[in-house]
Order: sequence, then C-alpha cells, then structure tokens
Amino acid sequence: MQEYKTEHPFDLTLSEDQQMTWDMLRKFAETELRPHARQAESDGRPSDELLEKIKSLDLIPLIIPEVYGGMGLKQDSVSNALALEALAYGDLSLAMSVSVPLLVAQIISEHGSEEQKAELLPKLVNGSIFHVGLGINNTLLSTDPYQSSVSAEENGEEIILNGSKTGVAFANQANTFLISASNESGECNLYFVNKDQEGVALEDKEFMGLKGVPLSQISLSNCKINASHKLGGHNYSINYESLVDSARIGMSALALGVCQAVLDYVVPYTNERVAFGEPISNRQSVAFMVADMAIETEALRLMIYKSAALKDLGEDFHKQASLTNRFAAHHGMKIGTDGVQLLGGHGFTHEHPVELWYRNLRAIGIFEGGAGV
Amino acid sequence: MIHPLLPNQLQKTQETMRMAAEFILRPISRKYDKAEHEPPLEMEQLNQAAAAQKKESGVSDDSAKSMDLGGRNLWAVISLEQMCWGDVGLFLARPGTGLGNAAIMAVGNPDQKDLWGKRWAAMAITEPAAGSDSKNISTTAILEGDEWVLNGEKIYVTDGDRCDCVVVWATLNKDMGKTAIRSFIVEKGTPGFTVARLEKKLGIRASDTATLIFDNCRIPRENLLGGKEEIETDIDAAKKSFGGAMQTFDNTRPMVAGMAVGLGQAALDMTRAMLAEEDYEDNFGRSMHQQTAIQNELEMLEAELEAARLLVYKSAWMMDQKMPNSKEASMGKAKAGRIGNKISLKCVEICSMQGFSEDYLLEKFSRDSKILDIFEGTQQIQQLIVARQVLGKSSSQLK
Repeated sequence: MQEYKTEHPFDLTLSEDQQMTWDMLRKFAETELRPHARQAESDGRPSDELLEKIKSLDLIPLIIPEVYGGMGLKQDSVSNALALEALAYGDLSLAMSVSVPLLVAQIISEHGSEEQKAELLPKLVNGSIFHVGLGINNTLLSTDPYQSSVSAEENGEEIILNGSKTGVAFANQANTFLISASNESGECNLYFVNKDQEGVALEDKEFMGLKGVPLSQISLSNCKINASHKLGGHNYSINYESLVDSARIGMSALALGVCQAVLDYVVPYTNERVAFGEPISNRQSVAFMVADMAIETEALRLMIYKSAALKDLGEDFHKQASLTNRFAAHHGMKIGTDGVQLLGGHGFTHEHPVELWYRNLRAIGIFEGGAGV
Repeated sequence: MIHPLLPNQLQKTQETMRMAAEFILRPISRKYDKAEHEPPLEMEQLNQAAAAQKKESGVSDDSAKSMDLGGRNLWAVISLEQMCWGDVGLFLARPGTGLGNAAIMAVGNPDQKDLWGKRWAAMAITEPAAGSDSKNISTTAILEGDEWVLNGEKIYVTDGDRCDCVVVWATLNKDMGKTAIRSFIVEKGTPGFTVARLEKKLGIRASDTATLIFDNCRIPRENLLGGKEEIETDIDAAKKSFGGAMQTFDNTRPMVAGMAVGLGQAALDMTRAMLAEEDYEDNFGRSMHQQTAIQNELEMLEAELEAARLLVYKSAWMMDQKMPNSKEASMGKAKAGRIGNKISLKCVEICSMQGFSEDYLLEKFSRDSKILDIFEGTQQIQQLIVARQVLGKSSSQLK
C-alpha cells in the first residue's frame, strides 16, 4: 500500500524562503497586476512598462544555469506552485505572461541539448523572455492531451511537421517556436521551428478569456526541419506525459490564485450589500455558497501542494496531477460562476472583476502548457 | 516545509490497519448488518491490532518522536480511516472508546481523566426536540446536597447500550440558555438511568443507537465534567464556557470525517474490483474523448475524495500543532460527509444490479455513508460554521 518514500512528517508550514517569495509576489500581484488587468484586456497585451516590471522580478534568470548567465537556482515544484498562485491572485493573463516564458526556460534548461541551451538560454536571461514561443494546445477536439495535433514524420536527418497548434502566447515576439508533435510510433516530442521557416503561418486569435495575453495559432504545412531541431537533440525523447502533468499542476496553481481572489472579493461584497434590510450574507443561501467556495479553494490548494510534493520526491505523480487538474477545472469554474452569481447583475458588468475571473477560469482544464512546476 | 505527504512510518500504519480491516472486519460485515442489535464479539481483535500499531509506530503521545511523524491525531485519523475502509458500523461498535471519551479528555479535570479515561464512554446530547440546536436541550441537572439529579430523555446515543458510562449534556437552568449547559458522567447501572430502546436504522447497524431515560437519576457531585458549578452572568465568559463544550467537536469532527474518507475509498476500490472483472482499467488524465463515461466519473470521484482526505488530514495536523482548527475541522467534515455519501451512491449506480445487491457490500456502504453526513454535525451545520468564520459573523447574524 506504500505509495511513496519519505521520512519527512506531514507538514503545511511555508519555509522561510517560500514565505519571503510569497509575500513579495503576492504584493506585486496586488499592486502591479490587479490594477492593470482591465487595461491589458482591452489592449490585448500587457503594456511595455508593465512587462519591464514583470521582467525585473528576475524569475526567469533565477532558474537558468549560471553557465548561461542565470542564477542557477534549483527551484522545487512546491515553491513554483506557490509563486504561480501568488501571481495569479493579481490576474491570470498577466501571471501567464511570466509563467509561460518561465515554463519555456524550465523545459529548455532541463531537456535542451548543449547547443540549444547555449543558443537560447542567454537570450531568455537577457530580457528576450518571449524569444521562444510554446505550442502545446491542440486545435483538434479529440486529440489525446498527451499527444499532439501536429504530426512529425521522422526521416533520418529530416523531420516533416504538419498540423496546427493554438493558444501560443506572445507568438509575434517569438523568433522560434517549441512545438509538440506526435511521430508515427505514437511518441510525442518537442521540436524547434523558426518563425521564418517555410510552411509556418501565424494567425492572431481571440478567446473568451486570457485576453491580457496575446495568443496565436500556428499552422505547419509540410514544414521541414533538421533532426537537430528536436528538443534535446536527434536521439532525445522527452517524457511528454510528465511534462503535461507538470504543466497541469502549474495551471491548477494559477487557477487557485484566481479562486482565492474571487473568495476574497465576495466576502466583503456580500457582507456590505444590503437587501431586505440586512447584509445578503446573513442568509444561508448566500453564506453557504461562500462557505463552499472556501472549502473547495482550500482543498484545491492542498491537492496542488501534494502533487507538487510528490513530483519533488521524484515519485510518479501522473495520477495525482490528473486528479488535481480535474478538481481545478470543475471547482475553479464553479467558484467563477458563483462569484458572478453572488454579485447578481453587478457581477455581470465590467464594474467588478468577477466577470473577468469567470471568463478566465473557463480556461482551466482546457488550456495546456500555460505554466509549469 | 510544505509536505502534505505521510512519512513511511504512517504509511506502514495505513497498511497494517488496512489488513486488520480486510481480515477482521470485512468477513463479518454482512453478518452484523443483518443481526442488528447483536454485539459483535470479534471486535477485541481489532482493538488489539490498533493498540499494537500504536505502540509500534510510537505515535501515541505528544512526545518529540511522535511529533516527528506528524502527531497522534493525524495517526488516529489515518488509522480509523483504514478501519472504516473495512466497516464503519463495526468500527463504531468497537468496545472501549466512544465519543464520550473524547469529551472527557477534552474538558475533564485531571481526576476525572484518571477515573473515567479508560472506561467506555458514550455521548448523549441529542433530544427528541433538540438535535443540531444543542443549546436548546431540556434535560435538567439540579444540585441536591452532594448529588446532581438528572431528568430527561436522550436519543441517538451511539454505544448507549454497550458502554460503561455516558457523558450527558444537561442544563442547570433552562432560562439561562447555553451558559447553563454542562456535561455529566453517568455510570451504567445508576438507579433512575435506563436504556429505553434501540433504534432500527438505515445503516451502521452493527453499532447500537440507544434512547436513554433519566428519571430522578442521582449522581455524585464530582461527576460534573470540568467541575464548573456556577453559571456565568458575564456574557463573554458564558460564550466561552459553551464554546469550550463545543470545542470537543473540533477534536471529533476530523475523526468522523476520516470515517467518511475510508468508506468512500472502500466504495471506489470495490467498484474498481468489480469492474475489473469485466476488463475495466483506469485512464487518468485523458480527455473526455479518450475516457469512457465510467473512467471519467471515477476520476472525478477520486479527485473529490482526495480533496476531502487532505482537508481532514490538515484539520488533524492542526490539532497536533495545537492550532485552533474549528473552521478546518468543519471544512473537512462538510466535504468528506457529502462526498462519502455521493461516492457510495454513485458506485451502486455504476455497478448496477450488482451494486444494488446484498451479495456485495456496495449497497451497505451507501446506506452506512448517510449517517456520516449527519452525526457530529450535519452538512448544513458544518457549512454554517465555515460560513460564520469566513464571513466573520456571529450566530445571531447568520442563523
């Protein structure tokens, strides 16, 4: 029955480092991200000024090895999850404008070949954080999430890619893309595709949510790349399932930040909003909705911690990540919709952020590869 | 360090208690479900297994070694979770400890703990006209010389027939509301104390549920639990006093919630085993396009169960850390109570006529699970407690 090995006791206390990072990022989320969420939505991207502030958090150089100019900090998954939650408390789109490049940096640092790392990581350190776009989201409805809607035909030194990917963040600022594609034997790997390559077409897309981050579709038509453009090199195989699972813990952690934001918004609102002579939160039908939000938010938090802790132990975390992803998708959306409901007609308008959170929370369980732990 | 995982030693506890549940409880599950009101004789074995595990794991107290493993309340939750994976009704019928024991340990003075701590103590709160509304009880306790005289009727007393003694909630003065409520230890065989009848129930039939009558029942003055005879007139002190009594529930709710988690896991495991006979396999993480409806359903139910389990572990861990856990205990109880019930009913549906059949235990799990969302505070009471804390409301604002 033993599922994993650890001598460490059950514990839910933040370490000193985690607490420091949490306080710093949570403050950044409240003072820099939340106030600019609407503006970024209407502009379809964060302002340059805000991007500079996001870059100055130095989250990306932090994890890049020192030989490539970074600080080489080996960050654990639990701490990564905490950071994502703290950022998304401000705004999901704006949090993703750092979590996506961070995921790219994680992937290249961990899986890239020496050449790939030497070429790309210094660029990411030096402020071009969107140099590499990430194409994980499938365009076909029925594609297995652990497979790709892009096919890779591997013929010796040449690989031919066909198909499309969507939800690629900051594609217009990217010079190269990291695209997942499935080969004939059913393995899914990542491949670098240059923007100016023949057979590559980009198209800006708008979605119901995540409007503060520019998203594009990338279509590959008989796109021929050299085998050395496979992530990790010619003979490298990535554990794609594990990558998706890690990214799902990341997305769940972002969802958690938004859920906490909804909860913290409806508590004062329902306490202050008066109907029939008293605060609406004096009524059980309202109060119980808030109680359930608090219960499921806390449960989601613990599920994320557990998935991340299992990953840190080096144990199989596929099942735990899957459960967390399901839970985040279901209860995240429930909290999103209840958040609007509790504000009634006011919640339906742009007067309050709950309608924005509602739209963003619909991405959870759908959007893959938006953050990693 | 955030680490919501169980150390090896506690996983060993899980394993041992799971085996005890499988080999001691499961074989007699149906027998005592059918033979309601017949005391199960095989329970001593389970107690011995639990005691041996407790000794072996070294988690029995608040010592440093025990805390290194996570503490004794977490240990208790995970071991009873496994026992209830076997059978909740039989677990509750285990001789030796009842909810009264938790009350004695929580609010008793040292002498009372010495004298009564090792006796099997049931808990009598509910009355025909007062359930969740426990401040409205009407059983009275009047001091006459050196004796308390109890009068009233208590219902739904788990272990009420088989226990050695009962912790009885009574009021010193009905007009004073909750400030006048105290709990008293009444020993079995005390004149004026009778077991009027046993309930026939939907589930947990192995456990006795009694109606108790106190008719001029005289008990020693020192049997007032906690020993506080005077009624506070100061409103804050009064609130604190009743709150103290209610705090017992902060300790017992994680335990009852743990029972629901164990039962939910049992239903899921049995459903998977039955489906495997017809070649079912799990398919975690895939999308709706790859999963069958049952794979999809079981994944979601498993996620809900895992969520409940972690909330419950957290509330028990907080007890061990001596942190106030009232909100968390209610969160865990609310989530585990409703999800244990939902899972067990869904599993019956998934297994169709086999699920509904008494040839298997799924139908029994689905009957047993209902009480776990009712006793020790109903779903709605838990939500009320959570809501008041989250919204910062008093019981007069949020009724």
